[in-house]
Amino acid sequence: MSAATPTASTPDVLSPSGTLNSLEPSAGTTATDRLVVEYLRSRGHKAGEELLAEALSGDDKGKGSALTTSADTLVQKLSVFSEKASQPGENAFKNSASIIQELASLGSSSNIQNLIASIGPVGAEEILSLDPTDKQEGFRELESWVDGSLDMYRPEFRPILFPIFCHFYLDLVQFGFKDAAQEFFATFSSSLESMHSATLHRLSTLRLPSHVQSDELAQRFRNEKYTIRMSRSGFGLLVGWLTDGVGGEATGAGEGFSGEKGKRGRAAVMRVVNNHLRFDVAAVSTTAMSPTAWEESTGLLSSLIPQAGGSAASLNNPQAFNTSKGELKLGPAPLSEELRAETEKMLREQAMLDRDHGAQYDVQLMRPTPQAGVISPTTADLLPHPPMFKTMDVKREVEKVRDARKRIRLEPSALSSVDVNTPQGAAARQRALPSICAYTLHDIPEGVPCCTFSQDTSLMAAGFEESYIRLWSLKGESLNGLKSDFQLSNIRDSASLNKVRERGGPVTRKLIGHSGPVYSLSFDPLNGSAAPPKYLLSASADATARLWSLDTMTNVVAYRGHQNPVWDVNWSPMGIYFATASRDRTARLWSTDRTSTLRVYAGHLSDVDCVRFHPNSLYLATGSSDWTARLWDVQKGQSVRVFIGHQGIVSTLAFSPDGRYLATAGEDLAINLWDLGSGRRVKKMTGHTASIYSLAFSGESSLLVSGGADWTVKCWDVKSAGGLPEKPRTNGMVNGSGGRDHAKDHTQDNIETYAALVRLLSVLADFKRRTDLVASFPTKRTPIINVHFTPRNLCMVAGPALPLGPR
Amino acid sequence: MSKPKASKPASSSGGLYKAESIKDVAESLGISTLPDNVASALASDVEYRIHQVVEEASRFMRHARRTTLTTTDIDQALRVLNIEPLYGHSPHNPPNFRRALPFSQLPTAGPVYFVEDEEIDFDRVLKEEKLSLPAGVRWTAHWLAVEGVQPLIPENPPAVPREDAHATPGAPSTLVPPTPPSPGKRQQQQAALVKQVLSRELQLYYTRLTASLLPPNTTDPTKRAAALASLRHDAGLQALLPYLVRWVGEGVVGALKDGSQSENDGRVLEVLLDVVAALLENTTLFVEPYLHQILPPVLSTLLHSTLPPSHSRHLRTSAASTLSHILTQHSTTYPSLSPRIMKTLLLALLSPDKSRGTRAGAIWGLVGIGKEAVRKGLVEAGGARVAGEDCMPGEDGGLGDAVVEALKVLQAPSDRPVPLDMRNEADALVVTRLRGVLGDFFAERLMGDAVWVRSILGDS
Repeated sequence: MSAATPTASTPDVLSPSGTLNSLEPSAGTTATDRLVVEYLRSRGHKAGEELLAEALSGDDKGKGSALTTSADTLVQKLSVFSEKASQPGENAFKNSASIIQELASLGSSSNIQNLIASIGPVGAEEILSLDPTDKQEGFRELESWVDGSLDMYRPEFRPILFPIFCHFYLDLVQFGFKDAAQEFFATFSSSLESMHSATLHRLSTLRLPSHVQSDELAQRFRNEKYTIRMSRSGFGLLVGWLTDGVGGEATGAGEGFSGEKGKRGRAAVMRVVNNHLRFDVAAVSTTAMSPTAWEESTGLLSSLIPQAGGSAASLNNPQAFNTSKGELKLGPAPLSEELRAETEKMLREQAMLDRDHGAQYDVQLMRPTPQAGVISPTTADLLPHPPMFKTMDVKREVEKVRDARKRIRLEPSALSSVDVNTPQGAAARQRALPSICAYTLHDIPEGVPCCTFSQDTSLMAAGFEESYIRLWSLKGESLNGLKSDFQLSNIRDSASLNKVRERGGPVTRKLIGHSGPVYSLSFDPLNGSAAPPKYLLSASADATARLWSLDTMTNVVAYRGHQNPVWDVNWSPMGIYFATASRDRTARLWSTDRTSTLRVYAGHLSDVDCVRFHPNSLYLATGSSDWTARLWDVQKGQSVRVFIGHQGIVSTLAFSPDGRYLATAGEDLAINLWDLGSGRRVKKMTGHTASIYSLAFSGESSLLVSGGADWTVKCWDVKSAGGLPEKPRTNGMVNGSGGRDHAKDHTQDNIETYAALVRLLSVLADFKRRTDLVASFPTKRTPIINVHFTPRNLCMVAGPALPLGPR
Repeated sequence: MSKPKASKPASSSGGLYKAESIKDVAESLGISTLPDNVASALASDVEYRIHQVVEEASRFMRHARRTTLTTTDIDQALRVLNIEPLYGHSPHNPPNFRRALPFSQLPTAGPVYFVEDEEIDFDRVLKEEKLSLPAGVRWTAHWLAVEGVQPLIPENPPAVPREDAHATPGAPSTLVPPTPPSPGKRQQQQAALVKQVLSRELQLYYTRLTASLLPPNTTDPTKRAAALASLRHDAGLQALLPYLVRWVGEGVVGALKDGSQSENDGRVLEVLLDVVAALLENTTLFVEPYLHQILPPVLSTLLHSTLPPSHSRHLRTSAASTLSHILTQHSTTYPSLSPRIMKTLLLALLSPDKSRGTRAGAIWGLVGIGKEAVRKGLVEAGGARVAGEDCMPGEDGGLGDAVVEALKVLQAPSDRPVPLDMRNEADALVVTRLRGVLGDFFAERLMGDAVWVRSILGDS
């Protein structure tokens, strides 16, 4: 590669830096020259140093000898290119060496050898980076090359543009070329906007070198390798283009530049490719990959994937990590023998009493049917629970069996085989889709961040931004606390306790205790659907989680430990334990009888936004603002699966009751369905036009219901393959329009136009209906903040009615 | 192939926060000489910090399940970033910004906005304005979907008419099974119309409804009752109203035109009248625009000369009660309604060439309208006399009964009738007048009750 030879490249350096000097004859630029001289010397580029020294004025050289003073700035300047090494003088070399090693480890194909051979001493190119124009040229050339490439390669070349764009922009900002950076951004961002709007917006706010140093995202770009998946042949073409300037380039493109300029641009691209990109060269051809597959394997992956303690080899592929963690025990939790025997006895008795012939089969329902390919945990695997069971436990189990028998069976798969317009279609629709009861909250002064139903549907609780919780009895029964004036010593038995109980209380109660918006609520699951819950947990912006007794209607415990707002709280399916998710980037495990944390689940790179327990309580899933979801082993506190694929914050998630799948919803307006066992994405479901707030599976895990800010409830067929009915569109642009639109709605000041937009979009979305979106039910003006399935498969949704017109 | 963004204005490269603003702030702090590059660097940094705060605030917005950023979100964001929040802003009353008038001395200055600060007169507020406490938070529940179908109730948004991609061109005829009373060709056309305007759910409802109502022999009576109840109480049928009205009209015409006085026709008419009554009773429907279409079938049933004998009495009375219902409901908003109906009925009663059935119907109609109408029609206009001429002496038929019933509406007969005494002079006078007003036939029938006769004649 000719650009690497110093004699050819140094004159090029001089002209731009010379013009810079003439423009701003301040001390800073001469310092830069000094640095360059020093740098060249340290790297042993004698010729380059001499040339540069000649070009500089004599007094400059004199100053250049007194270099020791600016060593600090030197470190600062060069740290751009440093990976993790501490010595600035050897950074770049170390870099390229490590790259070569890495590439060599990938395989010994001739292409890679070529690339290795072409990587000369990197120093000279770094000087080139001082010139802002080469970035423009380089990116323009790269873009035209990608666009001019063959149709079959274009989808796999496109992802290269984004990291290179980011690095060029960051380089420009880093070196203080603010205006050039702005221009570069304005010129080239439009074509990338559709897929990466969130990241691009974040980058566009960076203006000064200090921002790049302090911004987390920029630092991740700097310090991590951006992984791109590519086929072997595609990679070969890319290497060919980078080294020789040929390989699928469109005729006429790039002819306008002088050869020298074009080479410099390519060298700039090459530098980024060498330093910051990691190619995951796959044997499969890209045509075999689905258009959205890139989401799972592209991006700054290395820090997202938890590094297994002890093992030296870092895993750069989420799949490799997931398989390295071995199999999971996803089967249903075991029931103790005594409890089972007692429950069966109770069931038989009740069947006799009711003279219900169907009920005799209930006992069979008790026996868990072993599922193929799923390991069931043993009692020893579970979190410690009290050894004895109570009457309530038996009642709960009995009710569970009854619910299972009386459940409305929903079979959305029946819909796929019939035409909806025929009478048979209508019948299938009836069997496939749930009845949905909507609870609309009225006269909400500010927002209502959360709302939840108890499992026996006797209670509804809503957390408000005004720091209180409101509890409603949905059955119209009065909610009684205890009288405030009684002597504790007088209470001896349940009769005397009943005496101090209030009578004829209201059907709604306000629970006051938090000092910040209440973001999440959870009713305790111990009583199941047999009786109203006894406890309620709440999470708030005041960094506490609180336990409320529904016997006394008071706050019992405040759990302190998080340093930042707690976003979510969830009970373990068997009570006693619960988990919280917080802005402090951790999720924590607590037990109700201790005020200190039992486990801390750390590893996410940003806020943990949501947390849910696996139905057998062995695992915990978290969704985070770092765009990933993770599955943790509750006891060991280790991450056992990582789910990469969302192109936005993961806002909510749900486990399927059979324990095999996890559904996550993100700010990229997509719902992803993951297979827990393999850690692979089963499918991606798109159709929402605004944030998705809540997800719920039906009892037999066959139907997924989602609710969101687009004022709709949507039902998805879990088992169907999905996909669009018409021809697939190009290169993962599926979520493009949606993503941009969402960004817009943050700044939307006129809610009416927004409403019109939503309507329009929902109509548009209907045209592009996916086959696995089986139904969509709009509400009038109610964003759906909670969707919930009762044990008998009635769907309940809740949301606040928005006032008409702008607030 | 690059796509330069030509639309982006050049000034935007400097960011949202301008260096000039920094200079203004500096001047207000007493720093008059701020170098340009410092100002622009500061402006960039200020913008970056603002973005930081806004990004943090947007997390709070997202977790609060909102799509508009409020001042509380900013406050929360500042709090977690360890900055003192900006007190005194509440999302309840957002400040109103007003644009200032252009400053004439400095035309180059951009638009200037200021916060509108209204002056409040305490006296006025304390004396006049009543502060109303906001209603507490409450909830309502409704069915968003029932077995996968969204019911058309006021709580749900109206159905968006959607082009059904799966519908094949040949489908409409199979979609709507033949609706019973209206024969072949018209039905095809009607179905096509239904298809264009109505949602699938409504079409299904219409088909099921009409099929469960007619034909009366084969349909299940409980089903029919349920269908009528649905018509009487369900909301969201407005879109179906024109079709139902038309269906009723055609049904009535079909049943009457054939002229066959079969039992079946009578039952069909009965059901159709029930449908009209149900539609009128439904409070969620806006029937008035369709009154001109509803009235003809009702009046036809009422005044038709030959109704099936077994049903004739019942049909006419129920048509009359429907008519009275229409009048009481709509005569206030539709002033010309009652005169027109009155005129129709009087014509039917008094015209010489009408059949007895028509006359009986007219009298039932008058009864339905009310006392005044009966007095006007039977007594003042001489309707009873005309009817009496048609009745054979000694006959016990529908017409005679109708007149007597009508007269009973006018004034209830006394419990212990005292017959008019022909020998008494005053009584004889009354009898003469009675014969003049009601005709001989009814005079004979009424003579047994002196009090009744007197009150009918208007002197008590």
